[in-house]
Amino acid sequence: MTPSAPGAAAQPLSQAVLEQAANWYAVLRDGKADPHERADWQAWLREDEAHRAAWRYVEGISSNFESLRGQPEARLAADTLNTAARRLARRRLMAGAAVVFTGGLLGAMAWREESLPASVMALGAGHHTATGEQREITLADGTRLWLNTGSAINVHFDEHHRVVELLQGEVFIDTASDATRPFLVTTRHGRMQALGTRFNVRRDATQTRLSVYEGAVSVQAAASGATRIVPAGQQTGFAAGRIDATTAADQAREAWTRGALVADNISLSEVVEELRRYHPGHLGVADEVAQIKVYGSFPIEDTDRVLHMLAAALPIRIEQPMPWWTRIEAGR
Amino acid sequence: METLYCDHHGWLQGWLRRRLGNAADAADLAQDTFVRLITSRTERHFDSIGEARAYLRTTAQNLCINMWRRQEIERAWLDTLAMTPEASYPSAERQAMVLQALHEIGGMLKTLSPKAARAFVLAVVCEMTDAEVAGELGVSDRMVRKYVAQAMLGCLSLRARDTMVGLRGE
Repeated sequence: MTPSAPGAAAQPLSQAVLEQAANWYAVLRDGKADPHERADWQAWLREDEAHRAAWRYVEGISSNFESLRGQPEARLAADTLNTAARRLARRRLMAGAAVVFTGGLLGAMAWREESLPASVMALGAGHHTATGEQREITLADGTRLWLNTGSAINVHFDEHHRVVELLQGEVFIDTASDATRPFLVTTRHGRMQALGTRFNVRRDATQTRLSVYEGAVSVQAAASGATRIVPAGQQTGFAAGRIDATTAADQAREAWTRGALVADNISLSEVVEELRRYHPGHLGVADEVAQIKVYGSFPIEDTDRVLHMLAAALPIRIEQPMPWWTRIEAGR
Repeated sequence: METLYCDHHGWLQGWLRRRLGNAADAADLAQDTFVRLITSRTERHFDSIGEARAYLRTTAQNLCINMWRRQEIERAWLDTLAMTPEASYPSAERQAMVLQALHEIGGMLKTLSPKAARAFVLAVVCEMTDAEVAGELGVSDRMVRKYVAQAMLGCLSLRARDTMVGLRGE
């Protein structure tokens, strides 16, 4: 297949934008949309370069069907695809796609997704959250998961393993015990096996951070194969080629599941960095106040309220020249 | 790479033979699997025999499914033709063109549910309206739009993934 939107080829588009583009296609494609819908679509296109890029992708996909569209063989072609799809589904089932699932799983996942942009990977995820959203999920075995802002996971359960693949963001896990099926969490940096436990996993571009609050977790780095057991109350960072020494676990990495951002003697810039994960739009902090120390517990689900609480407690003021543009400046 | 080939080629070919019931296809696909590994620009590092074999098995499995898809499309095309009056058969050239297009489209639709794929193809290839597709599938117009949106999103995701993989030279 030829890339259909060369200008947009290297630009990772968010799942939300691709979803919007696909929905607009479904509304508009049979030419029966009313003028209001068309006007709304035009406005959506004007709004953002990413929208236009996503729409070019849609047009590219649609043009792949051109050689058959309106041809005398169109109907034969449609029936052929339908028959083939049903037979293929049956064939895969009989041949035991389960083999791929169990055998290929651990090896395959690690290589398949490496270095894809997070937004692209998130498209195939089983569960995901938008910026500012948090969600609690109970899995089939009774394990409870809390998915933090802007996160995505795939869940693969079979008779031998329980695997959660963290594609992006952060997840807190309270595992249900199952002596026969180990519970694994994988990222591109390595894999973690729960040894009866409550723990938090946060993935960013360069490393995965693991904090353990109960039980223990065994970590294996993806490339070096080095392993380390992290006991309760400890945390570590690891990448494909290394596992850091453990340090005391950061309580904030547990507190977010209760909707709290806990700051214990950390700088304002670190608090802002954390807030940015939840805050839609730009959030900046002036250099002269960036190093002020912050203490306290803040309601993470309401970032505007957190900013007001900070402004009340610290010598800073909040500037908001536009609704989506916020700056923290030195105070009055 | 040489060790990988020597250690696992026989095993992979055996695995494929049991799976496909056909020694010639198994030999071809085992070969294709290693070719894919060699031509991939990303350095692979395997920590254990199990990991290397899991990787090879997954790659080979994907190649099997691609091969099956092509075979099923060709078979379904012949079966569909058999049900139409001979007088309206497309010419041999048209048939080759249609099959080529069907292989490409089949690859694009591979991640979709059969229902979403069906609705999408009727809508996009046969240019049917939402109401016409709804009538044929026995679902509501709203459901048709939902299927079409799902299918388009599936194609977009696959394209995005292929593009990124292409950029990395795999």
